[in-house]
Amino acid sequence: MSNLGFQQFPEYQVPGVQQADFSPYESNGGSIVAIAGDDFVVIAADTRLSSGYNIHSRDQSKLFKLSDQTVLGSTGCWADTLSLTGLLKVRMQGYEHTHLRTMATDAVAQMLSITMYNRRFFPYYVSNILAGIDKDGKGVVYSYDPIGHCERAFYRAGGTAGTLLQPVLDNQIGHKNINLSSSELPKLTIERAVAIASDTFISAAERDIYTGDSVLINIITKDGIEEKKLQLRLD
Amino acid sequence: MALAEICKISNAPYMRRTAWDLSDVEEDLKAHTSNLANPYTLAAPPFENPMHNLNLIQANADKTGIKIDFDHGTTTLGFKYKGGVILAVDSRATGGQYIGSQTMKKIVEINQFLLGTLAGGAADCVYWDRVLSKECRLHELRNKERISVAAASKIMANIAHEYKGMGLSMGMMLAGYDKRGPGLYYVDSEGSRTPGNLFSVGSGSLFAYGVLDSGYHWDLEDDVAQELGRRAIYHATFRDAYSGGIIRVYHMTPTGWIKISETDCMELHYKYEEQKAQAAAAAQ
Amino acid sequence: MSILAYNGGCVVAMRGKDCVAIATDHRFGVQAQTISTDFKKVFHIAPRMFLGLTGLQTDILTVRDRLMFRKNLYETRENREMAPKPFSAMLSSFLYEHRFGPYFIEPVVAGLDPHTLKPFICNMDLIGCPNEPVDFVVAGTCAEQLYGMCETLWRPDLEPDQLFEVIAQSMMNAFDRDAMSGWGATVYIIEKDKITERSLKTRMD
Repeated sequence: MSNLGFQQFPEYQVPGVQQADFSPYESNGGSIVAIAGDDFVVIAADTRLSSGYNIHSRDQSKLFKLSDQTVLGSTGCWADTLSLTGLLKVRMQGYEHTHLRTMATDAVAQMLSITMYNRRFFPYYVSNILAGIDKDGKGVVYSYDPIGHCERAFYRAGGTAGTLLQPVLDNQIGHKNINLSSSELPKLTIERAVAIASDTFISAAERDIYTGDSVLINIITKDGIEEKKLQLRLD
Repeated sequence: MALAEICKISNAPYMRRTAWDLSDVEEDLKAHTSNLANPYTLAAPPFENPMHNLNLIQANADKTGIKIDFDHGTTTLGFKYKGGVILAVDSRATGGQYIGSQTMKKIVEINQFLLGTLAGGAADCVYWDRVLSKECRLHELRNKERISVAAASKIMANIAHEYKGMGLSMGMMLAGYDKRGPGLYYVDSEGSRTPGNLFSVGSGSLFAYGVLDSGYHWDLEDDVAQELGRRAIYHATFRDAYSGGIIRVYHMTPTGWIKISETDCMELHYKYEEQKAQAAAAAQ
Repeated sequence: MSILAYNGGCVVAMRGKDCVAIATDHRFGVQAQTISTDFKKVFHIAPRMFLGLTGLQTDILTVRDRLMFRKNLYETRENREMAPKPFSAMLSSFLYEHRFGPYFIEPVVAGLDPHTLKPFICNMDLIGCPNEPVDFVVAGTCAEQLYGMCETLWRPDLEPDQLFEVIAQSMMNAFDRDAMSGWGATVYIIEKDKITERSLKTRMD
């Protein structure tokens, strides 16, 4: 890649130098699933951190606790994830010190969107899903594209196996393509949300080489965050 | 100095505390989130010509497996008629071929008398619409009257012009009602800004134009105009792979905007099918 | 855009208890534009065998016709019905003949062996690398979505009506997340004594 500037000055070029392609990003893999209920939200992410065919870590949490009511799941380029979540932590703390209260989930969602858009011309290569309890006490999920377009939803899958998992959630949580009346449909409880999240990860680990090892599940309610861990395929 | 020597404090640069003190941290934080204080200051990329360079990263995607797919794809339309302005949009967001969302809001409610539609890069449109709503509110506070559609669209066009060539992707319509009556402007990321009676923007716009042109005239009744917009978007969702989901219809009246309907495409398709079958049966 | 995704479309096949199912969508498009919504990519080629082809439409039709020719020739010479297994072997070698200028298709074969009535499913890449798993095979623009759905919904030894429900739900929810496939779907259930064809009511956007 030729555009870091010095190519415009051929007299400075050193003969015989090989130039590598400009590839500032790396895909470190991983998947996230978040499901919101009436008064809870479940967010799950696998713990495999990989690069190409190598596994860097089998036990790396991709869930970042931003407050007692808000958890961010972030995958993609791990360096960008760390840089972005670090920034968010500092800003959350700054907000707490200036306003003497914790930032609400809705506010975090907007801040994340704007922070990501700041890097419009050199984006963070991340797939973000934010889960939390909103100011009315309802569970809520926000999902993002790499430059900060944010959409509020009730369930969402992201990361390398996002395309595998999202139709399953459409079917099982969104009851898409099911011709049953609302009274016949199963109610979304914490148990059901956790069970579906676990099942989708078991499926994803079968087919996606970047998803596996184990899955960390955070259950957020008004009383706080409960953590669970489930073993997945290690291959 | 003597004290420093006694305490074994050297003057070597690596012993000085200039490298990373508190003010540096603050500066750093400000630089990383500069647009929270001033939305127009986005971080500069560490290379020139971001549009070209980001395209190169995209072009390398087959080798690296890294592809940054922004949400894209749309059909939106808007037209003026005697009863005000109708805006109708679909709700699908696609990243590549993958449908990222079927429920995206493509009409932004800037204020009670101003609506914006979004096509192109979703993040670009939403971010700059948010900046625009701030500017419109400030205009109200400064001048004690609502901003005209012409002025609002000019702000948007100025922003687009400022970032021209950097790779923003926006194609939006601004619809409103002001002293001059109903207003409808088309603004895009190339910096163009045009007033007009009838626009359609996005990947499915050609299909929508086909329906729209055959049914449009100035003296439409309200319900006919709303149905025309809905039908035009429906036909675009049927033919265009990157449009679909829910069809939203908004109506801008002299007293502000009204949300007319939000209908699922599937429901509409089978309703129109049935109407066609009934019409065919009646004709026999 | 990959040439395999130029016209869009997807096919999935599944094994059940003494039965197999194969499903196709109906879209024929040119990139983003939908041209028609009655193009079934699954072809009935023997009493208990179906061939599904996704990819470039012109190659789908060519490959189908050439395979039918070879299959008919085999049946005339041998004077017996061609079973799915040898058919797949023939398909594989046919595709490999064009190793350096391949047909841009991904085939799926589903059927019951005419003698043993054993279920058989198989898919290949565009140059004929065969894959015969015990559960399901997918092909087309929404392969990833189909893998996710099938992996979650499929169980061993499904009865024909259960198998229909599983394959229909897998298909519909998968292509509802893909811009290039959909616009109607058809499911074929192949049992030893009958073949059931069912059309699905799907989203048309």
